[in-house]
Amino acid sequence: MRQLALGISPPPDPSFDNFVPGANGELLARLRELVDGRLAENIFYLWGEPGSGRSHLLAAAARAATRALVAADDVEALDDAQQRVLFNCINEARESGSAVLAAGSAPPAQLPLREDLRSRLAWGLVYQVKPLSDAERALYLRAEAARRGMRLADEVVWYLLTHVRRDLPSLGAILDELDRLSLERQRHITLPLVREALKAFAP
Amino acid sequence: MHSLWDCCLRRLAQELPAQQFTTWIRPLAPEVHASEPGALVLVAPNRFVLELVRERFASLIKRIATEARGQEIELRLVLARAPQAPARPPAPVSTGSGAGPAPNLERARLNPAFTFDSFVTGKANQLARAAAVQVAENPGISYNPLFIYGGVGLGKTHLVQAIGNALAAQRPQARIRYSHAEQYVTDVVRAYQQKSFDEFKRYYHSLDLLLIDDIQFFSNKDRTQEEFFYAFNALVEAHKQIVITCDTYPKEIAGMQERLISRFGWGLTVAIEAPELEMRVAIVLKKAEAEGVALHEDIAFFVAKHVRSNVRELEGALKKVFAFARFTGRELSLDLAREALRDILNVANRQITVEGIQKTVADYFKIKPADMHSKRRTRNIARPRQVAMALAKDLTQMSLPEIGEAFGNRDHTTVLHACRTVATLRKKDLTLNRDYHVLEQTLKG
Repeated sequence: MRQLALGISPPPDPSFDNFVPGANGELLARLRELVDGRLAENIFYLWGEPGSGRSHLLAAAARAATRALVAADDVEALDDAQQRVLFNCINEARESGSAVLAAGSAPPAQLPLREDLRSRLAWGLVYQVKPLSDAERALYLRAEAARRGMRLADEVVWYLLTHVRRDLPSLGAILDELDRLSLERQRHITLPLVREALKAFAP
Repeated sequence: MHSLWDCCLRRLAQELPAQQFTTWIRPLAPEVHASEPGALVLVAPNRFVLELVRERFASLIKRIATEARGQEIELRLVLARAPQAPARPPAPVSTGSGAGPAPNLERARLNPAFTFDSFVTGKANQLARAAAVQVAENPGISYNPLFIYGGVGLGKTHLVQAIGNALAAQRPQARIRYSHAEQYVTDVVRAYQQKSFDEFKRYYHSLDLLLIDDIQFFSNKDRTQEEFFYAFNALVEAHKQIVITCDTYPKEIAGMQERLISRFGWGLTVAIEAPELEMRVAIVLKKAEAEGVALHEDIAFFVAKHVRSNVRELEGALKKVFAFARFTGRELSLDLAREALRDILNVANRQITVEGIQKTVADYFKIKPADMHSKRRTRNIARPRQVAMALAKDLTQMSLPEIGEAFGNRDHTTVLHACRTVATLRKKDLTLNRDYHVLEQTLKG
């Protein structure tokens, strides 16, 4: 009989503390200042590849904010009406001193947006969310595994980093699958188990 | 108190690297009038130094002062009153005494930082500036309306608000209103919903100076255009000044009633062009000055040369440089600026794809892009292919099987082997190491 695993370990809420900074120390320090009003600048734009942690940072900022803060994610996909709203928010923030935090897939110069909105995003502080190095990804994998109550041998970490897409959501998803599979099979995390888990992700 | 700070200076000079000491600690001065015995008040010459010292050295200074005095010392950092700052418009006088200028400015929604003094002039905008000054000096008489058009972020808002601020300074009782076109549209809609058009009309028709920013947002808003038409006629008839900005020449505005377009041409129409390099440098220097930072011209030149599009982006770039200097505690320099602006500059090739890597590497080694996928194993083709694979691993988040697939359906172990081979070779073969480095920098932009 198959033991079915119960999904009972919800991921923790995104926070600044559970973000792996990697090369993003400056960005993180500035963002903390922005959300509690210690930063002189009040327009903040961050960009990065999908999976680099933009949405995590936005959610963490929204949760930690002790001031009026408008957060806008995936700005490259805003339609005309939404662009108008964001445009007005930025003008409003300039006048009233509230803050706007926006995130997107590309630096301001490359966003397919209204020119006057695009240049306003470039007006404030702009940061790239830089991807992690493989060593930092290994740390992330171990920490995320520990949170799920798993321990990963070095060879497993290495195997994952050479076989899976290395953005954080992909790595998180494979850990979820490993967690489920190891509970269901009552087995430790071994390479054969990893290979089986990867089948669930095969195209 | 003075001797306490001297004491601290000696200790700080010992504890901090000389460069940090001269850059950040030397400029601080003790506040001489401070009389509380338990406090050390330090005056920073500008906000930049103030923030950096607060962030990085405050606790150290406090500890040293406490030790020197043998009692708990409270450290306070204050900003020097800025005599070196450019002339600022009169700060809104505190409210309370009847109809002073303060409530007027408040009503007008003017940003007091936008003045003629803080507006950098060059070939691109000197005509527009001259017209604006004229209008501020003789409102309603010289050019009515003044119509200023140009691309985004070139300073149109700054210029029209400068007109408002100049008039408010000369004639505190003048009724002035700055309104972004979107705001005006919202006001019309609200007046419509609340059936308060009479009040709306009374307010707008009684102004001495109406500044409407970005009028292209009236496009296809018929009710707004109609209301504005009445306001326009009433104001011009009463010799009250109207200033309008737009992103384009009046005849080019889409969705605008003909009768409005023809009225826009009654006065003077002037363009603001994109600033040339020389002027961009001046803008950067002026912005730095407003922040209380004496910026070296090298750095201003670097920023101005790389950020071409508009003034707003220049400002953003400068902020980035200051923020980075503050974070790293390094002195402002060309290298620092270059590093700080990586997130904004040279971004054209920032989105690195495996196809981009293959093409760049093939071009670099003068082989055919198709050889990246081919089965050929001669050294002059296999080696570049391995380099490309290693770059794909380092510069993208793709999995190794995905990378293998992109290189003619190779196995992920082939990719792994390529990465190891390249890593080993880079340690022994200086030429290859340099090639790799150049390619990496080229791809990263």
